[in-house]
Amino acid sequence: METSGFVLLGFLLFCLGIFGVLSRRNFIVVLLSAELIFAGAGINFIVFSNLWKNLTGQVFTIFLIAVAAGEAAIGLGLLIALYRVKHTVNVDAARELKG
Amino acid sequence: MTILWILLAVFIAACALGVVLSRSPITSAISLLVGFVGIGILYLCLKAEFVAAVQVLVYAGGIMVLYVIGVMFTDSEALRLNRQTHMQAWPAFFLVLILFAWMGHKLYHAEYKAVPASVTVAIATTPEGEAKSRLALEARAALANDTNPRQVSVALFSDYLYPFEAASVLLTVAVLGGIFLAKKEV
Repeated sequence: METSGFVLLGFLLFCLGIFGVLSRRNFIVVLLSAELIFAGAGINFIVFSNLWKNLTGQVFTIFLIAVAAGEAAIGLGLLIALYRVKHTVNVDAARELKG
Repeated sequence: MTILWILLAVFIAACALGVVLSRSPITSAISLLVGFVGIGILYLCLKAEFVAAVQVLVYAGGIMVLYVIGVMFTDSEALRLNRQTHMQAWPAFFLVLILFAWMGHKLYHAEYKAVPASVTVAIATTPEGEAKSRLALEARAALANDTNPRQVSVALFSDYLYPFEAASVLLTVAVLGGIFLAKKEV
């Protein structure tokens, strides 16, 4: 009962993150929604680590946090590059590759 | 206890909704910060104390500060977006709703069995190897009653040593790439 509830919570965070990435125009909020997707995956790791009494899920959550930190660094570099070139944070402004 | 679980889940879900739906990016960032503290409490309740500490210290303390600095760099411009969503928001909403209803139904009604912790028995061919593997098994058995940070760190520095080093290389490369992207000439 509790396990399925937590799996559902992780999936809800995943879905909200997907919706934020697809629908928001502000680049910062797109990055924050990507963090929501990471959080959903982390909840699943910890829940099954607790259910199966296995430490692998906790170790993978630490790796997940490291990957999220790398994503934040790259994302903020992209944000500042976009702001410097286009003077906006609207992701629709970055469309020079569109034909 | 169940009431506490439900309250925590509703709190985390409300924070996630606040991230996606709020108009101002600083509200999104603060909402995600509070949600991460809630997720840390959830980890603490699920007996993952070390990961809970890492979640609050590194995630809520470090990564979110980076995002807040990003918001401060660009906020006056961001607030001038008159619409916060694309044209594709409604199709995305319905697709995500269908995905959540269909997949969430399957996930909620799936059966999650607690499997017993599998004991890996090392194959020992020589007496020396047998003594070694018995020592390793005894060490693992002693570790099973130890505290959670010690268990996680032993796993991290024995079984997962190479992924750990690879993660440090990944972080270095990511930070260098971020600096390169944010340079003036690009």
